[in-house]
Amino acid sequence: MSAAIQFNKVSLKYGTKADTVEVLKSISFSIGIEEVVSIVGTSGSGKTSIIMLASGLENASKGSIKINNQEIVGLKENELSEVRRENIGIVFQSFYLIPNLTAVENVLLSLEANQKFNLEKDAEELLDEFGLSHRLHHLPSELSGGEQQRVAIARALINKPKIILADEPTGNLDSVNSESMIDLLFDYTKRSQTSLVIVTHENSIAKRCDRIIELRDGQIV
Amino acid sequence: MARLFDIQQFRLINKYAIRDFSRSYKKLWVVISTLFVSLLLLSLTFSVKGALNSEIENNSKELLGGDILVTSGIDPLPSDIIDLFNTLGKVSSAIEFGTMISKQGESPVFTELRAVDNNYPLYGDIETIPQSASERIFINSQKPSVLINESIQTLLKLSFGDDVVIMGQKFEVVGLVSSVPDLAESAVFGEFAIISMGSYEQFGLDSGGSFLDHEYRIKFKNSNQAKEQEELVKSIVAYDDSIETRAPGESGQSLNRVIDNFSNFLNLVSVSAMVIAGIGISNTLLSFVNQSNTSIAVKKSIGFSSGFIQSMYFYEIMLILVLTSVIAYLIGVYSPLLANELLPEALGIDLEPSFSFLGFLNIFFIGLLVVLIFSIPSLYSISEIKAGALFRNTFNPVSLNFSLKNIAILSVLIIILITYFVFQTEQKFYTVLYFVAFFTTMFIFYGVSKLLILFIKHSYKFSTNSYKIAYRNIVAKKSLAPIMTISLGIGLTLLLTLSFVANNLKKEISDSIPSMAPDLFFVSIDRNIQSDLESFIKDIDPNVELEFSPMASASFISLNGTPVEEVVSENNRSAWVVRGDRRISWSEKPKLDNPIIEGEWWEPGNENEMFVSMDSRAAYDLGMKINDKITLNILGRDVTGVVKNFREVDYRDISINFAIMINKAFANTMPYEYVGTLKSELPPGDILAKVVEKFPNVSAIKIDRILSQISEVLNKVFIAVTAISLIVIVIGLIVIVSAVLVQTTFRRYNNLIYKILGVDFPTILKAMTMEFAVIYGTLIFFALTVAMISSYLVVENTLQLTWQFDLGLTLWILVSTAVVSFVLILLANRSIFSPKVYPLIRNE
Repeated sequence: MSAAIQFNKVSLKYGTKADTVEVLKSISFSIGIEEVVSIVGTSGSGKTSIIMLASGLENASKGSIKINNQEIVGLKENELSEVRRENIGIVFQSFYLIPNLTAVENVLLSLEANQKFNLEKDAEELLDEFGLSHRLHHLPSELSGGEQQRVAIARALINKPKIILADEPTGNLDSVNSESMIDLLFDYTKRSQTSLVIVTHENSIAKRCDRIIELRDGQIV
Repeated sequence: MARLFDIQQFRLINKYAIRDFSRSYKKLWVVISTLFVSLLLLSLTFSVKGALNSEIENNSKELLGGDILVTSGIDPLPSDIIDLFNTLGKVSSAIEFGTMISKQGESPVFTELRAVDNNYPLYGDIETIPQSASERIFINSQKPSVLINESIQTLLKLSFGDDVVIMGQKFEVVGLVSSVPDLAESAVFGEFAIISMGSYEQFGLDSGGSFLDHEYRIKFKNSNQAKEQEELVKSIVAYDDSIETRAPGESGQSLNRVIDNFSNFLNLVSVSAMVIAGIGISNTLLSFVNQSNTSIAVKKSIGFSSGFIQSMYFYEIMLILVLTSVIAYLIGVYSPLLANELLPEALGIDLEPSFSFLGFLNIFFIGLLVVLIFSIPSLYSISEIKAGALFRNTFNPVSLNFSLKNIAILSVLIIILITYFVFQTEQKFYTVLYFVAFFTTMFIFYGVSKLLILFIKHSYKFSTNSYKIAYRNIVAKKSLAPIMTISLGIGLTLLLTLSFVANNLKKEISDSIPSMAPDLFFVSIDRNIQSDLESFIKDIDPNVELEFSPMASASFISLNGTPVEEVVSENNRSAWVVRGDRRISWSEKPKLDNPIIEGEWWEPGNENEMFVSMDSRAAYDLGMKINDKITLNILGRDVTGVVKNFREVDYRDISINFAIMINKAFANTMPYEYVGTLKSELPPGDILAKVVEKFPNVSAIKIDRILSQISEVLNKVFIAVTAISLIVIVIGLIVIVSAVLVQTTFRRYNNLIYKILGVDFPTILKAMTMEFAVIYGTLIFFALTVAMISSYLVVENTLQLTWQFDLGLTLWILVSTAVVSFVLILLANRSIFSPKVYPLIRNE
């Protein structure tokens, strides 16, 4: 199985020479195409750091990271943006919709970043599929938490990314919303043959994944 | 930039920028308002200046009164010369002189009287009330008529049909002259009257004095050959150096210079306003970036690059610039119509709005440079926003990006701005000096704010809650201190400097001069009546202080054999001494108030040799030395004399002073007249009335009238100047308010915490007062110091006056600015006084 994500002896350090915190300690793993993997661990174990590194939003201190066989360590900001546009969709715990854009405009943002224009219909259909046909032109402040997260997931998926990185996507939702959200994510991933990396504290979610990577003190257990 | 040339990218940038602007314009109101006000000021200046210059250029013949003007001074031109002029076209002769105009029971008024012939005016019209009044002065009758201006009407309480007396002859007032086509200063600012040349000759009004000009204006038959005919006229009168000619192009030169100087000053104020607005733009954009940090981070996480996001915001700012500059320019274009309402009617100027695309580009380009200079450090901070923060939910506010690349770009842009501006002005040196002073002052105030923070950090810390809150607010990373110190500091310094200069000038005129100045100044007194006049006045008031000095007209020809035009440039401060006719005097001994500072006074006698005593400042400016030889044309004869000494002359006392004096023995051989001054305990108007009745040809100027005229003009100029400098303060205040608003979110949160911890409203208010007092107090010291130094330099060096400090004025400006600023800050902060606890608990 060829890898969607490959980490090879990746370290991540913060701080100065005198006062350094090593968040990830030379970790190596790979995630296959269409594989669904959960990353679990205690707070501060380095789960989110893996997502940040895989999305190119943080630079590794050491090691090699490949996304669809493309080395991303050492790339410039513009090149990383391109990798992200072409390969990755991200779902955040806090949704992070752009407050002055409507639901459909938030979703379209992903397409437009990828130079895909006049695809409002696609965005509307996806939101419709997520049960938001009545909320298309509402601002985030006019949506509930669950609705906001569904828009955020739609934004991550609309571009048909090869990899979805989800950081505690249900962390801000109640159990009912949480379950329907995970169903949505898993179903879509399966249908679109996408790899999914999901950071979670919830065992029920982790158990539904193909594989679990457990982290402790910056190392894979 | 490349993104703007990629059509897809450009469309996207355009779409996002317009959408963002339409939904976030409230956050950008400071950018919009400050940019608009400063661009409007610039546009108004350029438009009114352009309209004035084109009015002068288009009406240069009207302003001159003909295709060429020939002035022959006291003596009329010979009739054969006038005959020659008549072959070239239509000739209009006029005589101008100062004389008294009186009415029974009123104090006589010194006025500029113009006697004109039937051909006057050759161009344009005399505007009168009633309309046909100008024709009535030419009706030949035994009771001649006169047109007076509004000022004479007011001073002598005249109505149409009343009689006035001019040089012993009764004239009937037939109308008011509102304006004459050829600008007459006294018609605008003083007393002015017109009679017919026929009346002048019929009643022998010639006083024989030297303050009289014969003027001849010609309207060429063949206007296509104006240049050749101008040259012909010049060659006709070339036989006499004292005859001057002036062509239409030269008629408005001095007026153009005044307009250029004033508009240069306005331009500098506009740019100052714009630079301060720039600080606001920079601050607002930075806060806008910080407020939009999650949106920016999300866009980055989706795959937009920092460059794309920066381009989008740059484009948005450009949209604001285009919008504000178009509106500001359009208002500016029509501002000449408003200027017409404000300009004195007697000027006869009718300004026309004129649209020019280049004019718009000029405004836009200056705006573009300022916007770029101040938005680059803010918008480049976008690259510092980390999308990774979205995972941690922690955002650190970004600060202005001063990378080496940005510093280089900013330096180039600042140099372009200054160069572009300097090349548009006549006063290049002063403009550069102003920019240097302005940016230095900005850096001083920035340094002051940093020093203040450092000082507060290391000074004694009081244990009261108010002090602790104020202390934290000042030393905080996003403290108001730097922005308030720079914005308010520059505005306050400018206001204080202009007020100090204005106040010193006004004081000099209104306070010091009248105490030592005479009450009356007699001009052009015939030498044959001087002793009778002196006795007559002493009979009226035996204690009168009278001083008479002999006087003759002369013109400067050469210095050490070199023509004076080659030695003295037009820009020389003392060029006035050697240009045109100059009155010279003589005495046996040096005047007591004219101490000799170099050389020695001459021995009495020596009637065959001319010795010269020069005003020292003029002599130094003109590069003269003791024993230099100067040649003067006195009554048509070139006479060369030796410079024997330099005197220190103080013209401010308005006593009789001369730049050039010669030895009495030599001067006694030539014809002359007298000038004199009078100071009396009796009302000068009463003495003047008696004098004019007895000696109708004597003319005297009432000094208090001149002073009130000067004060009136100065007051208007200072009101305008102060109003303009206030705009800088207003923009500064908008900038401060913007900074306050930027902080409001942080402060509201802090105050919420204080409220939860039990700190009450009076404590927070006290803390804010303390914070403002500390910053403003520091700012006062430096603003006052810079303003005192700069106003001292202007008053002592440029205006050559004695600088004085006015505590009352200073306190008034400082207190009023403080009150207005503090009230505005409180208003901008009003939402932080009663923060709601609920949103904090809900983490909203």
